[in-house]
Amino acid sequence: MNRNIIKILFIPLFFLLIVFPILALLINLNMEGIRATMIDPYFWDSVKNTVLAALLAAGLAVLVAVGFAYYHLFHRQSLVYKIANLFNDLPIALPHTVAGLALLLAFGRKTIGFIGETGAAFTLFAVVLAMFFVSYSLAARTLVSGVDNMEPEVIDVARTLGDNPVQVYFKIVLPLMGEAIFSGFVLGFSRSLSEFAAVIMFGGNLPGKTQVLASYVFTKVEVGDLDMAVTAAAFCVALSLLIVSVLSIRRPKYAES
Amino acid sequence: MLKAKGLDKKYGRQTVLQQASLEVNSEIKALIGINGSGKSTFLKIVAGIVNPDGGQVLINQRDVTGLPPEFRHVGYVPQHPALFQHLTVKDNVLYGLRKDAKTEYTKVIEMLGLQDVLHKRPHELSGGYKSRASLARALVPQPQILLMDEPLTGMDVVLKERILPDFRRVLKELQVPVLYITHDPKEAELLSDSYAVIDNGKIHSVDTWKEAFDMIHTSILQAYSC
Repeated sequence: MNRNIIKILFIPLFFLLIVFPILALLINLNMEGIRATMIDPYFWDSVKNTVLAALLAAGLAVLVAVGFAYYHLFHRQSLVYKIANLFNDLPIALPHTVAGLALLLAFGRKTIGFIGETGAAFTLFAVVLAMFFVSYSLAARTLVSGVDNMEPEVIDVARTLGDNPVQVYFKIVLPLMGEAIFSGFVLGFSRSLSEFAAVIMFGGNLPGKTQVLASYVFTKVEVGDLDMAVTAAAFCVALSLLIVSVLSIRRPKYAES
Repeated sequence: MLKAKGLDKKYGRQTVLQQASLEVNSEIKALIGINGSGKSTFLKIVAGIVNPDGGQVLINQRDVTGLPPEFRHVGYVPQHPALFQHLTVKDNVLYGLRKDAKTEYTKVIEMLGLQDVLHKRPHELSGGYKSRASLARALVPQPQILLMDEPLTGMDVVLKERILPDFRRVLKELQVPVLYITHDPKEAELLSDSYAVIDNGKIHSVDTWKEAFDMIHTSILQAYSC
């Protein structure tokens, strides 16, 4: 077997399919597009909406994932855990238009939703829920792997010292999982930033209200304003690179025992 | 005082404990067995970490079978020190101390020579100090029995020979009954008053560590001759 087979397979494909499209985007940046985008208040609204909604969605995702990781650690045989585990990875496989439609039916303005008229659809709150729906799985997986990497004896010792499972979880497990919680948050945040389909189905694409960066780019392409679309897209690339850098710089705080 | 009667445990089809019984009175008892003999499972059943399939665990005449670990008043020193990395040594040692407890924890700290490292984090300690801190943490709440699961695993022999007599002095002075799990009869001799051997999930009492050594030796030969 040719020793260079991996190089031959990896390098051209990676650069052609991943790096080249990003470069194509950056090469197409021009001053006119940048100027027009920078003075467009809807662009800055979409940036604000994206960051705010993604932060809230990631926070909510981590909060729910903290609960799921507790069940994973202490009640793996319970019905709650088994059902939650079954649904946990569903958003990853589900087309996100389906996720958006499901949210619309559940929490929409029409009374077809089981909760009735919530008024949530086509608001920023809907954007948060849509982002949460697609980012929760990542946060849950990250926290679960954090729990699985813990020394089981640490938990056993805390139990013999008088703590019940909830006390152990809050006093010992969560403080030691700072790294996993942070990673879960950042992954949830980055997944939320990139969401388009579920957001547009449930939150809509109302400029200045529910428009996010992904839908701003889509709108600009749709109306033929490619220069502004490219500028907004490049902004997204920069934001994503920042997040990826934060993830790779972060190192575990505590040394192994 | 501990009385474990007829403990059974299976993992799938594998029988780990078979009618295993043991008593620990006011003494340091070593339970010696080769890897896979079921000694750690036995200890974890006593601690309440693992549930038995059958049998009974009594601590100070109280039936604790089925009770979770937090209601058993046992001290547990695991194989690795398992110190809480986000807390200082002092916070680790005092973790199990109840607010209303009137225990002289400073005595335990001094006896184990931890007074100079109390402000440190666990990752700043040497292996010997980690083991001492782990023992102190288990002793401070004044457990009714102390369970030690090969706490010096991975430590070199010279250090073990220095640290075990120290541990024995502390445990004797505090008069706490101890169940010490080990695979090494020599290590058991340095610490213990009495011995038992666990082999294929069954526990046998022996009188001397040499007798334990012979049983373990035979057990190893049998394990590798098939």
